[in-house]
Amino acid sequence: MNMAKSPSIIKEIFKIKKFTISIAVVISILLFGLLGPLFYPRDPFEMKYYPERPPNPENPLGTDIAGRDILVQLLHGTRFSVYIGVVAALISLAIGVTVGSVAGVKGGLVDDALMAITNIVLAMPSILLMMLIAAYFKYRDPILVSLIIGVTSWPWVARAVRAQILSLKNREFIYYSRMACLSDLQIAFEDLLPNMAAYLFMAFVLLLSSAMISEAGLSMIGVGLTKGVSLGIILYWAQLFEAVRRGLWWWFIPPGAILVTLTASLLMLSTALDEYFNPRLRGGR
Amino acid sequence: MKEKKISAILRKPAVKFLLRKVIFLFATFYVYVTIIFVLPRVIPGNPLATLLAQILQTMQVTPELVTAVQKRLMEEFGLHKPLHEQYLDFLMRIFKGDLGTSYSLFPRKVTELVFAYLPWTLGLLIPATVASWMLGNLLGAIAGYKRGGKLDNVILPISIVFSQTPYYWLAMLLLFIFGVTFRWFPLGGAYSYGMTPSLSLEFIFSYLHHYVLPFLSIVLAAIGGWAIGMRVLVIYELRTDYIDFADTLGLNEDKLLRYAFKNSILPQITGLALNLGTILGGSLITEIVFSYPGTGYLIFQAITRLDYPLIQGTFVILFSTLILANFIVDIIYAFLDPRIRTGYIGE
Repeated sequence: MNMAKSPSIIKEIFKIKKFTISIAVVISILLFGLLGPLFYPRDPFEMKYYPERPPNPENPLGTDIAGRDILVQLLHGTRFSVYIGVVAALISLAIGVTVGSVAGVKGGLVDDALMAITNIVLAMPSILLMMLIAAYFKYRDPILVSLIIGVTSWPWVARAVRAQILSLKNREFIYYSRMACLSDLQIAFEDLLPNMAAYLFMAFVLLLSSAMISEAGLSMIGVGLTKGVSLGIILYWAQLFEAVRRGLWWWFIPPGAILVTLTASLLMLSTALDEYFNPRLRGGR
Repeated sequence: MKEKKISAILRKPAVKFLLRKVIFLFATFYVYVTIIFVLPRVIPGNPLATLLAQILQTMQVTPELVTAVQKRLMEEFGLHKPLHEQYLDFLMRIFKGDLGTSYSLFPRKVTELVFAYLPWTLGLLIPATVASWMLGNLLGAIAGYKRGGKLDNVILPISIVFSQTPYYWLAMLLLFIFGVTFRWFPLGGAYSYGMTPSLSLEFIFSYLHHYVLPFLSIVLAAIGGWAIGMRVLVIYELRTDYIDFADTLGLNEDKLLRYAFKNSILPQITGLALNLGTILGGSLITEIVFSYPGTGYLIFQAITRLDYPLIQGTFVILFSTLILANFIVDIIYAFLDPRIRTGYIGE
């Protein structure tokens, strides 16, 4: 039944202006990062140009202090930032959904224990925790950075999933499944999660955007990637070599602008979806 | 008699609420401290090796010296003891307020260093947080009330963009525009070079002059999130039955808005408690951009020099500060929410 309904839902969603604009922006930035390097095949680490050059025909976005091309850094940086964001978001989502659904389905002591843990992690300032953990690693690759971000950002997902499950739990179709002797896990994965698909997608979008911002934050304080380039790393280099005070605007403005455009569009996307799927927000007063 | 009095106080709903919060905050602190203890012991590539290398760089190295220095270091940090004893030692030292000695600024104590830098951070953070929270809520309430109107269509997208703008990037932009291009504000630091902090008019002026850009960047970066949150809360609130009822009774708009605002501000207070960490994180990095002599700058220095006691200690103190701030916000909450005062919501 759900399947038959979905095409019309998709059509309707695309009629929302906020949604279409934001998804167009998101997709073009993703393409920029994914396909860009194919059309602009330079090495982001090669120091072969004249240093600190403003944008010019040879280097469309100028060069940094070491004579590296900024545009190619941006292409690769966007790619790695998105990659880290996606992996981190998937990790948070996996932990959050597992903890939240086990707590919601099992109830009782298990629920109490899991929620106590969740609340404690939630009360800990995640960005500080990330910085602290990252500081202990000598080498940090994209997977490690995603992992650090992922394991510290799941609590709100767990709470939200649990709340959703509690509200779904007492519906009739769940009773039928229970009568059919389905296991808790089966109920969770076959009955409850599909009903929360739209919600989980929104959670993923929000996690993705906050993970990319966290990545940049970690880089800025000096505990980002130790090898490779991300949007945060470009900003870190720019900061380290005083790009702002020396007026090298082409170095620090583009990476931040891409980050903000991408994350703001993601947030806009989830707001549009929320307004569509959430009956309490739909329509005017 | 006395016991009865105490138990009567303890039974008061607001006291019960706060007690539960205190226990919870202690639990989080304990977990956090434990994480700090566990991290260096489970992650390969130990900080001690780094320190050892640093110390040996300055000396003529002989094999005996290496083992001697290593042994001395193991003893200094208590690493020769069994793990559970190390853990108890560690906890005891933290509760006594002894966070060890800095490697890079030897022999200065970590606590001494952090407390020298902390006031600058707090002086920046507290006013900026309060200002952004108030302004953001006000803007959000207006946007929510005029939902779909012109004002909302301006406030919402701008709030979304600002809420996603990293603090430090906004800081870089402001510094570039108003510091580098227009030269209205200084390029960094908390006061003019060569001055010593004092209560002279000259110093205060210099302090404020250096304060504007960091303050503005934190306020602007934080304001959007509050506005977005408040907007949705007000929209929800305006749909509740009591507002509809009051509306049908013919109450004027001002009053309706005031009711909705009062009820929507409560979750925003909880939100303040939850987001203090994020704001702190953001402003720490803002300090780096402005070379502001706060704890963010200290952490940055400590990380580049791999000064682990200093990193640990700074995080412990920052986290304790956050817990204290959280508790203050909880007290305000308990004070403002009539349901907690009267015990309407127990658990």
